[in-house]
Amino acid sequence: MTSDLGFIDPTASKHRTKIAPAPRSMDLSNKVVGLLDNTKEQGDIILETVGAALRERYGVAKVIMHRKEFFSKPASGELIDAMAQQVQIAIAAVGG
Amino acid sequence: MAGKIDEFEFFLEKEWSDGFPVVTPTEERVQWMLKGTRRDPDAVIGRVPPAGEVATVRTIAIHALMAGCKPEYLPVVLGAVELIVREEFNMGGVQCTMHGVAPLMIVNGPYAHKIGLHGGNGCFGPGFRANATIGRAIRLMLLNLGGGIPGLASATVFSSPIRYTACLAENSEYSPWESLAVSRGYSPDDNVISSVMVESPRLHFDDVSTEPERLLRGIADSMTSTGSWHMWFRSGIAVAMSPQHAKLCADAGMSRADTHSRLCELAGRTQGNLKRGGNWRPERARAMDADPDDDNCFIKAVKDPATLQLFVAGGMGPITAVCHGWNDSSRPVHAKYEV
Repeated sequence: MTSDLGFIDPTASKHRTKIAPAPRSMDLSNKVVGLLDNTKEQGDIILETVGAALRERYGVAKVIMHRKEFFSKPASGELIDAMAQQVQIAIAAVGG
Repeated sequence: MAGKIDEFEFFLEKEWSDGFPVVTPTEERVQWMLKGTRRDPDAVIGRVPPAGEVATVRTIAIHALMAGCKPEYLPVVLGAVELIVREEFNMGGVQCTMHGVAPLMIVNGPYAHKIGLHGGNGCFGPGFRANATIGRAIRLMLLNLGGGIPGLASATVFSSPIRYTACLAENSEYSPWESLAVSRGYSPDDNVISSVMVESPRLHFDDVSTEPERLLRGIADSMTSTGSWHMWFRSGIAVAMSPQHAKLCADAGMSRADTHSRLCELAGRTQGNLKRGGNWRPERARAMDADPDDDNCFIKAVKDPATLQLFVAGGMGPITAVCHGWNDSSRPVHAKYEV
């Protein structure tokens, strides 16, 4: 893609697609929440604490924990699909 | 073309650069750059993580041009992009990490020599167009296509000078051994890039040793520290021995493989030593199959010898450059590239 000035935009791409973020739920009661442990030390402790608070304070029906293979790797497609099937809201952890 | 617009300022204000001026990409110049390859400009090479923008031959040529490459450098840039988008290399993890490692490209074979990729005196630093611009082209793509920009996708605390450019050849003229690529089974006539995620080099200065064991013990010491992330992970690491240091080993009858093995054996610290500071945690010790209470347990810097990139580079003098690594999630990669 060439600009009016005759320069090429190095970031122009015909392969780009826009993905709309999933709608955010404003009500947690009776929802199933997935927590993604990124494997960093103590991340699981933070998530378990968050999970307990979500159940006690916000009426979350169920909390499901998932764990990535390694903290600096993206979650696998299988893991993301599994969470998408099981949960209505997902929260990822950063520990360490 | 640009009228009253200052093309250099225009591009710097667009944040399409590494902070230095770029060669302004125009269609005419991009067509000139594309003369460096026979490949279809629309061929997709891969998606650059984490943003996932597609790198085509043409996009890569645009960035090679911006970085200041000559068309004959383009095959190396294309080969490098093919490597960095490999899943096992985990470029996306490095793009986002708090750490500051970068993909170092070590290029072997006759084509590197032909285009002037430098592996001798001053090869990690400024002054060599092929080294400077091929590495810079990779970085510009990591910024523009991958979004690895501090404050956006990158959480790097300091980044590192090695993130401006990181490409060099081996000093094959003065190396007493076969090249890194040949040690992996390639032919000396193959054009090969090896890449590993590493920090900027630290210089191990030893003008005292006259036999390999003392020399290698010292280099091994430079491969470790309490704060190095690779001490507790199966990481890649790079060691570039100057011809003088390599010759000291070779003259004593040590092959490249002997030297590689000995460095893997020697590089490490006792757990008690590592506990004094840095990133020791009992969980990390257990992950290395070490008893966290065993202070005498020897923790090796190189957990898997295949991840140590030992090569000969630099000019004449008693220095070895050691580049510390990152973590388990990036495996060093290597492949032939098309010229």
